[in-house]
Amino acid sequence: MPRYVGKGSRRRPLRRYGFFIAVAGLIALLLLQTSPRLSEQIEPVRTAASDQMFHMSKPSLIDRVTGASKRERRIFELETRVRELAQYEALALSMAERLEVYEDILNMQGEPAGAEVTARIMAEADGPFAEALLANAGRLNGVEEGYYAENDGGLVGRVVQVGKRSARILKITDFNSRVPVMGESSGLRAIMFGGRDGAGQLTDQPESGAFIDGERILTSGEGGMFPRGVVIGRVIGGGDEPRVELAMSRGQLSYVRLKPSARILPPEVDDTSPSAEAVTAAPSEAIE
Amino acid sequence: MKTISALLGSIGRWWQRSRPRVRLMVGMSVLVVIGLTGLTPNVWFGVTISWPYAALIAAAGWGRSGLGFGPMFVLVLFGFAQDVTASAPLGCFALVNLAIFGASATASQTFDIERSRGMNFGLPMAMIALGMSLVWILASFAGGHFVRLLPIISALMATLLLHMLVAPVFDLGVRRGAHAGVSA
Repeated sequence: MPRYVGKGSRRRPLRRYGFFIAVAGLIALLLLQTSPRLSEQIEPVRTAASDQMFHMSKPSLIDRVTGASKRERRIFELETRVRELAQYEALALSMAERLEVYEDILNMQGEPAGAEVTARIMAEADGPFAEALLANAGRLNGVEEGYYAENDGGLVGRVVQVGKRSARILKITDFNSRVPVMGESSGLRAIMFGGRDGAGQLTDQPESGAFIDGERILTSGEGGMFPRGVVIGRVIGGGDEPRVELAMSRGQLSYVRLKPSARILPPEVDDTSPSAEAVTAAPSEAIE
Repeated sequence: MKTISALLGSIGRWWQRSRPRVRLMVGMSVLVVIGLTGLTPNVWFGVTISWPYAALIAAAGWGRSGLGFGPMFVLVLFGFAQDVTASAPLGCFALVNLAIFGASATASQTFDIERSRGMNFGLPMAMIALGMSLVWILASFAGGHFVRLLPIISALMATLLLHMLVAPVFDLGVRRGAHAGVSA
């Protein structure tokens, strides 16, 4: 039966004050986050909360007792394996041998290899806020900030925040995401950012010319954020405002592969070389 | 069959007799279950499923029983959890949930004292739509540009669908505004 409460309840004004204080507090909290410095201080709290979320989405006690979690883990491992194999089998067979020959001919230094991790996406993949994904692999799994994420279609995004067991991936569809790209056939370079319609938009072309309608768009590797040659999508529309139909949207977003970017370290200073001596001598001369 | 109907009947009777705090706990448990399920992959047969904003349903439902500290606390707590999962600025979803809770309380006390069927159906729907609009506005402010409407619309559809299924769970059973002792 419903409980009827009259208008003259004594506690009601207190509730109303409480409500307005809570609303004002939340608005103040939102406004405080417009300050970059305060926002940076809130980020560790958010990372810790993401880690806790990961714990809550782990298998329950019932699953552990019945063995369901063990089976699920095994299925997960096998699915991961199959996904990897399907992605790389054809590519590896056709290209590995040729690549080796080319590298020998050119005496080229290959990309430094790093640990790769397959992670499950935990939180929403298509939200209204920053187009970010929360993956269940973090620092303990070897993931670092700057890793890039791929699915079976192509490039998904870049790791922008890492917790112990979780990582946040900024999707390339985000308005604030910037990816240096190039056309596979035309060779033109540009910067791609996320458009409102879910497709990528190309801007800041250093060369004159137009992208070819339907040509593949790959990462150009400039800036060192992404390695060169990762598939992003295909040009649609061409002309003055070319857009990119993203390959990642053809694949599924439940799992992503996190890979290290080819980070090029600055050259080490050789103590014995004359230039290094000049560098070390310069400060003392300046003091004199 | 008889056993099932008897069980459902006894659950219904228990629910009618249950106190607001018990109803709040049950509603909160449903919120936790829906929220945690939303953390698992939502791709079925290759199609990404929009996950409903269950806290909005709770805010619209609980708000119809008037303001209260318990529901407010739960809604703020869930709002913060939503902020973390949706990469929204902290406090964003809590503010939306609380605003819808307050709007629902005000609208119910103004227009819905007798709980007519039209209001039972229309008011929560309007509140959920208002909540989604707030989410879109705040997301656009946070992003510095107008964000896409499609995810919001698909989430709205999913939320309205869920609302039709679970709305009774988010009724605290308190009728504010009527004089004490008057039965409906």
